[in-house]
Amino acid sequence: MASPQPDQTRRAAILGGNRIPFARQFGPYAQASNQDMLTAAIEGLVARYNLGGQRLGEVVAGAVIKHSRDFNLTRESVLGSSLDPHTPAYDIQQACGTGLEAAILVSNKIKLGQAESGIAGGVDTSSDAPITVSEKLRTKLLKVNRAKGAGAQLKALGAIRPTDLGIETPANSEPRTGLSMGEHMAQTAKRWGITREAQDELAVASHRGLARSYDEGFQDDLVTSFKGLARDQNLRPDSSMEKLAKLKPAFGKGDDATMTAGNSTPLTDGASVVLLGSEEYAAEHGLTVQAYFVDGETAAVDYVHGEEGLLMAPAYAVPRLLARNGLTLQDFDYYEIHEAFAATVLSTLKAWEDEDFCKDKLGLDAPLGSIDRDKLNVNGSSLAAGHPFAATGGRIVAALAKMLHEKGPGSRGLISICAAGGQGVVAILEGA
Amino acid sequence: MAVETLTETPSLLPVFVKSALGGKKKGDSLPQTSYRLADQVVDRQHLQDYQRLCGFAADDTLPHTYPHILGFPLQMQLMSREDFPLPLVGLVHVENEITVRRRLTAEDVLDITVSAENLAPHPKGTTVQIVTVAEVSGEQVWEGRSTYLARGKGDPDAARGSMPDLPEVSPGQGAAIWSLPKDFGRQYAKISGDVNPIHMSGLTAKAMGFPAAIAHGMWTYARCVATLGPAASGPSSSHVWFKKPVLLPGKVELVVEPGDPTLLGLRKPVRSSADRVVEHLVLTVETR
Repeated sequence: MASPQPDQTRRAAILGGNRIPFARQFGPYAQASNQDMLTAAIEGLVARYNLGGQRLGEVVAGAVIKHSRDFNLTRESVLGSSLDPHTPAYDIQQACGTGLEAAILVSNKIKLGQAESGIAGGVDTSSDAPITVSEKLRTKLLKVNRAKGAGAQLKALGAIRPTDLGIETPANSEPRTGLSMGEHMAQTAKRWGITREAQDELAVASHRGLARSYDEGFQDDLVTSFKGLARDQNLRPDSSMEKLAKLKPAFGKGDDATMTAGNSTPLTDGASVVLLGSEEYAAEHGLTVQAYFVDGETAAVDYVHGEEGLLMAPAYAVPRLLARNGLTLQDFDYYEIHEAFAATVLSTLKAWEDEDFCKDKLGLDAPLGSIDRDKLNVNGSSLAAGHPFAATGGRIVAALAKMLHEKGPGSRGLISICAAGGQGVVAILEGA
Repeated sequence: MAVETLTETPSLLPVFVKSALGGKKKGDSLPQTSYRLADQVVDRQHLQDYQRLCGFAADDTLPHTYPHILGFPLQMQLMSREDFPLPLVGLVHVENEITVRRRLTAEDVLDITVSAENLAPHPKGTTVQIVTVAEVSGEQVWEGRSTYLARGKGDPDAARGSMPDLPEVSPGQGAAIWSLPKDFGRQYAKISGDVNPIHMSGLTAKAMGFPAAIAHGMWTYARCVATLGPAASGPSSSHVWFKKPVLLPGKVELVVEPGDPTLLGLRKPVRSSADRVVEHLVLTVETR
């Protein structure tokens, strides 16, 4: 089936990015709200690319864990920034795929000529999390609120029992399975035979890559310090196999459990944004096109019935994206596979190498094959930087665009991000 | 002028008590001493508390009005000196000017100097200007000029500076309405250190001749500046004229000159044009 071609499309350019360093839960950003962090990330971008007073086409961002008061999170951040207040904004939420999905949406509007410029991003806090009362109490309190007259209200209040009291904080678990993301991943890791050693190796490489990128100054125009933090707090430049080997398994059961706190991402706080625009917009504003946002794809798997692992959807999204763009898995200079867990990356790579999986599950004639591991997460990924859910996409898009620009025109990068709910968001960027 | 360098921020409650108990002030000249606090490192928690209470973004930037807070204890120290010609208790903050020369962040280490200038007759008494200067490595980055009035025998012929009128905005057409709770004076006192009894409770305010506790003028000033967003934290200048105090608890209405967001006013919300208008302040802000 041929996809319908819009009458006319143009290229969407990535012009730069900005993020605040990611902080560990209850670290320096313990009291920073999503609003504070997203505004700071936008304001840093505005300062870096001289966007003060400019009316952009739109700003699209979101947070996975959100207070109900933040219903208009992104628009409020625009109003708190130096952007022209006539810049519209909206929120999206696609779990850990939020940031990359936002970039797909903005770039699509630019491609269609519906927008000249835009910002895509995301933010998440695991520290300043919303607290809700128990469902029973919530229902009864709403009843009190509805009751007319003091007598009726008192009666409704009287229905509240001591056992109704209690608070709930958002949990990193799947509503339908009750399993945490780590437990889900442990099942998948076991299925693909991912070893502890391979996971720890990936974690060490991530820390070393990110540390090197900071030392080389690569992050200088991608990160703006916030609340006294200048680098990602989770980064351990001296990470080693010996140190990681000492950690006890955190997810999975039994002697063969492999996933530890060292090869899983910790809960973190942070925000990131990316500036996108048409080539005309870039030229008018004297901005350098770093890369083009070529295409994006999403996929979802049925993890509820055990048919597939929770975080395996990108394994399905990538072949569809490759086919649509006439590319093979080997046609890339860089691969950015989000390290939700080291095992996620390794299971995905293993799946693409597996003949049965590629035939039976992906419906391909042959496996997608292996990738050159030297091209994978070159400047570190989420294991080192941390992973404030919705902020990861923006971090990756901005960094990859810069890497591709340095590599030169025509260079290619692949982004793969898994998300809760059995979803995956993937994209192709091309260097300019 | 002699400079007295303090090693720590003076505590303000004893200063107020001393002044309240102090004898009658005399003299018609200002102390030729300025007070200095060097190497002031911004306390990020304090900064964030201030930003939240005043409506600024909770980021690393020091708000337009923030260095005033750092210099305020020095102002009090200076005005409570025995050779300061006006009594500290009862002074009314009537005007304030601020110039931000560059955007300041929590990373900047500030040297704060406070001195007194321009003792002058006023139709309702005598005014003095307390000048607060913030420097970073010898570079003047911020200046505040606070004008205080000691009510008393005034000079009806004394010149008054020109004060702009509040923006003319019809009833119900204000830009924002803010509700201030009863304990708001205490909330701001906790952050600013300004524990003047007129802000602390109805009882203490009544003892000082006010019908109720009143909001700090510097909060009303800061809250209005905050509506201008990040621009007012960069190079900018502002001038506020405080008119009638805001009684607590209470509501205030922000009015902005149509087509000119740099002229702002704060008034008591009015329902109809027949209502008496209570004007709290008028403010001009220039950003660059």
